[in-house]
Amino acid sequence: MAKKKKNKDGVKIEFLSKLRLQEKAFEDKLDMIMDGVKDENILVLEEALTPQEKTQLIEKSMEECDEDFPGIEFSGFDARENWIEKILGTITGKPQKNGLLIVGSSDVMEKVEEDKDAISMIAKLE
Amino acid sequence: MLERLKKLLSGLFGNKDQIKLGIYGPPNTGKTTLANRISEEFTGEEMGSASEVPHETRAVQKKEKVDLKSDGKEISMNLLDMPGISTKVDYKEFVDHGIDEDEAKVRSKEATKGVVEAIKWLDKVDAVLVVFDSTDDPYTQVNVTILGNLEAKDIPIILVANKTDLEEADPESIKDAFPQYNFTQISAKEKENMDDLYRKIVENV
Repeated sequence: MAKKKKNKDGVKIEFLSKLRLQEKAFEDKLDMIMDGVKDENILVLEEALTPQEKTQLIEKSMEECDEDFPGIEFSGFDARENWIEKILGTITGKPQKNGLLIVGSSDVMEKVEEDKDAISMIAKLE
Repeated sequence: MLERLKKLLSGLFGNKDQIKLGIYGPPNTGKTTLANRISEEFTGEEMGSASEVPHETRAVQKKEKVDLKSDGKEISMNLLDMPGISTKVDYKEFVDHGIDEDEAKVRSKEATKGVVEAIKWLDKVDAVLVVFDSTDDPYTQVNVTILGNLEAKDIPIILVANKTDLEEADPESIKDAFPQYNFTQISAKEKENMDDLYRKIVENV
């Protein structure tokens, strides 16, 4: 695959609302994330991923890894469900996924430092 | 629920004599050195070659029938040394370690396949040692993801803070980051505190 040209003006950051993400199946979200990060954008999702979904994200990025795409960096907050949200999730079949996910190509997101309640990252501009 | 049912049925009808103990963690935390120590101690043979170059283990290494004994108890297991789980594999990192560019690209491809293989094994292991480098920040998405996955599958976990022989080691930071799990601190290289690890394996696996 030919290497995509970086945006000369800087790094594009896309914010995706919970409302927009709720409409998508996880496989579609995964494709959307991979397309975004391979375009060297940083995506901020208003939604947390479950550990199984994060594992699928790692697996997918490894499968698509090549000389031009070395993989991803991601970080986020996973808000724990309270009992009302758990019951609601069971009834509706849609688990509540409060939280946040930031993901980008490791070419762009050089370093991510995180704690349970704080995240910092450095984005490469060239 | 399905995972628990599968494990129960496997326990009733399958061969559960050999426990599959997976050694997981990010690259360069000393997983192979630890696997070699355990294997050497209980079978007299090492399992694989360890290196400072990341992703030295690029395919799952297995050692069958390792009979681990501690405090008068014994468990028989298949020991599985997993490739390090990572979100990125850049061939330039191998080049920086003095490896020829073509060889680095081949290694890089093998390493990505190794990560996928290690992830697929998460569904097959019975218990896991998650190995940390005590000199690194433990709160990373790779560690959080591995632990969250194992917890969701009800797989027994022991956190192993390795490389405690190094001056900058801070094993307590690992315990503080993930206080809910069984924990031990060792130096696999210097064979320090291995008895405590063996005790925790026979007690918890």
